[in-house]
Amino acid sequence: MLSRVAERVYWLGRFLERTENTARLLLVRHNAVLDLPKEVQPGWDLLLQVLGAEEAFAKLPGAATEKNIISFVFGERANPSSIISSLTAARENMRTTREILPSETWERVNSLYLSVARRSNKDLPRGVRHAVLNNIVQCCQQVTGMLAGSMNHDAAYQFVRLGRNLERADMSTRIIDAASAGLMGDIEETSPFRNVLWISVLQSLSAYQMYRLDVRSTVNRQDVLAFLFQSTVFPRAIAHSLLEIENSMKLLPDPKNARDVVATLRRQLKETDCSALAGSELHNFIDVLQMQLVEVHSAIAVRWFTHESS
Amino acid sequence: MAVSRITSPKPYMRSKPRATIDWTKYDTGEFYDEIITPARRARPATRGLVAFMRKQTIKHLISRQQAADLAIQEMGITFTVYSEGQNIDRSWPMDIIPRIIPLSEWQVLEQGLIQRLTALNFFIDDIYNKQQILKDGVVPREIIDSSPGFLRPCVGAKPRHGVWSHICGSDLVRDGDGTVYVLEDNLRVPSGVSYMLENRAISKRVLPQLFERNSILPVADYPSQLFDMLTSLSPRRSIRPEIVVMTPGTFNSAYFEHAYLAQRMGAELVEGSDLMVDSQDKVFMKTIRGLAPVDVIYRRINDDYLDPDVFRPESTLGTPGLFRAWRKGNVGLANAPGAGVADDKVIYTFVPAIIKYYLGENPIIPNVPSFLCVNPKERKHVLANLPTMVVKPANESGGYGMLIGPAASKKELALFADLINKNPRNYMAQPALKLSTAPTLCGNNIEPRHLDLRPFILQGKKHYVTPGGLTRVALRKGSLVVNSSQGGGSKDTWIVDTEAH
Repeated sequence: MLSRVAERVYWLGRFLERTENTARLLLVRHNAVLDLPKEVQPGWDLLLQVLGAEEAFAKLPGAATEKNIISFVFGERANPSSIISSLTAARENMRTTREILPSETWERVNSLYLSVARRSNKDLPRGVRHAVLNNIVQCCQQVTGMLAGSMNHDAAYQFVRLGRNLERADMSTRIIDAASAGLMGDIEETSPFRNVLWISVLQSLSAYQMYRLDVRSTVNRQDVLAFLFQSTVFPRAIAHSLLEIENSMKLLPDPKNARDVVATLRRQLKETDCSALAGSELHNFIDVLQMQLVEVHSAIAVRWFTHESS
Repeated sequence: MAVSRITSPKPYMRSKPRATIDWTKYDTGEFYDEIITPARRARPATRGLVAFMRKQTIKHLISRQQAADLAIQEMGITFTVYSEGQNIDRSWPMDIIPRIIPLSEWQVLEQGLIQRLTALNFFIDDIYNKQQILKDGVVPREIIDSSPGFLRPCVGAKPRHGVWSHICGSDLVRDGDGTVYVLEDNLRVPSGVSYMLENRAISKRVLPQLFERNSILPVADYPSQLFDMLTSLSPRRSIRPEIVVMTPGTFNSAYFEHAYLAQRMGAELVEGSDLMVDSQDKVFMKTIRGLAPVDVIYRRINDDYLDPDVFRPESTLGTPGLFRAWRKGNVGLANAPGAGVADDKVIYTFVPAIIKYYLGENPIIPNVPSFLCVNPKERKHVLANLPTMVVKPANESGGYGMLIGPAASKKELALFADLINKNPRNYMAQPALKLSTAPTLCGNNIEPRHLDLRPFILQGKKHYVTPGGLTRVALRKGSLVVNSSQGGGSKDTWIVDTEAH
């Protein structure tokens, strides 16, 4: 398999996952708005923080209203982390690697792109929001399913999987970071809504039901963080994503160094005491973790994408 | 006295007949129509199609066309146009009404195409080696010496099977009296075959009923034929060769096709920077396992850009050392560099003589009669008949500096007469053809539109011709320009066996 092609399908995996996660995030935020009392509702600008898009938003005209932020996250091409931008990138990576992907996956992504592009300069009013976003999540999952069910599980497939899981881990850290930002310090202890707020953190990662099934205790900070960071059974937990990454690497040629980076990170994560992660401690911990995920990406790139001779 | 106006209803007629397709207004004019005779009847091979269409309403046909357009969009069948500093991916334009050629006629054309490519490959091999045809005075030496397609670095090269142009796309046109001519040969990097395949996939999707009633030759095995042909070029014989498709990149207008063919053959799609040539002049590609040897390259990149060591030094699309590796026989290149020497406009006029010289046969498909202005007798004929001629400069391509006699003003005619007299060597002329037409959906009507046909011919160890080819159609009324970047469209092309059933 060509290194250039490997790199493109890796990014295809990342951008597809980013598209899905961003749609999920909007969906969860949309539902939360309908659920939580006004005074504890996180502002819509929290979305911008999660996506690291505050600066890009500030550059454009328009106040930080619900309508503007949703449009910005959904259909603004000037926003590199918007759904339309991620989908454009996913499609472009797919268009240029079509020769190795099952053709129905390309048709699915292409038609999703066309449908989102048609909407991208329009608002996403509350009435249609659920249907549109849900459709995006479903399409992305269909593609994931089609790849799992109709593509050779060869090196190319492992690169898609690497991209997907690394992106998922990265997105999970961002969501935990942003969603827990409203819970720092004293507020958490005194807030009558602290349970509701931790539930919303779980919901942001579609983790609430699985948490209930697996943890079987009340919703509290320590257990929620342990579940989201250390669970090896919940697919959006960081530890699970890292495990998947390591498993993919095992199936690729000569993974030695790259695999070491992931294995070390997994060990560290396992040994972390989640009860100590409160307030700014949590924020710092996540910062470091994000840097380590960047190192995983570099290790993959050095090992499989670049050739020193060229 | 009141006359009764009440007439009894005709028993088997609907009170309001549906407006079905009406051929009485279809006017083929002075042109040969591929589907409808001047008496507005179906030709023998098109009966199934015409009978089907008679039962359709125009509304239904339009809805089928829309279904086709949608499928094309969703399947992402595109071509790239460079316009105003931007690359735009446009959906491939296809008219749903197929173009039909009877099998009996096609079998003759097929033999003619094979004959032509065989002779041209003998010619190219001769030109770069013994040059016997020049020594025998059949083709004048100065034509080769002055040809920009003649690449000196290729002199003495001996590609496998003596074949230089492995994939050829020859453009066929039909004149008013029904004669089919070869308009030109594309021996370098002809494109369009993926659209031929996709057109068929689309018509099977939107008009499946038609395939039940007609016996239509399938086209789908082209990628495997191409693969087999490329395999026959491998320098290593015993093992499974590594075949790659080399593209100039995602911004090339035919990128869709490059990816399509690689996908259908299960070959790697490489760019110049994915390849490297080592100190032993062997070719490798850069993979996740390190460097892997390459045996055959189906290159879709022009000679000029192939190898900066030999051709354009500033090219970043090619791979340094590739030409050397090919000369040493370490890698197969399709098509071979230098094959373009045989598709320039002056050589074209010699093709009948070339066929005769190498094969001792008369050409099965005629050339469009051509006049070289350098010969006094032919020049006289051209000048006397200028308003009915198309004049082309010998060494230019892309339709630059052409005169289309029937459409030219008196001033332009005088200007060209002057140019020809001053520099006769630089011009050749052909009578303007009355390109054939076929019914095409234009807005809410079905009207005749001019078309041509590009079949694809493969030559490696063996020959193969696509059954039919890519039909390109000029969508503007009266226009002869079939190029997709200039408002041309396409049609699925059916070779129909009228003897079947």
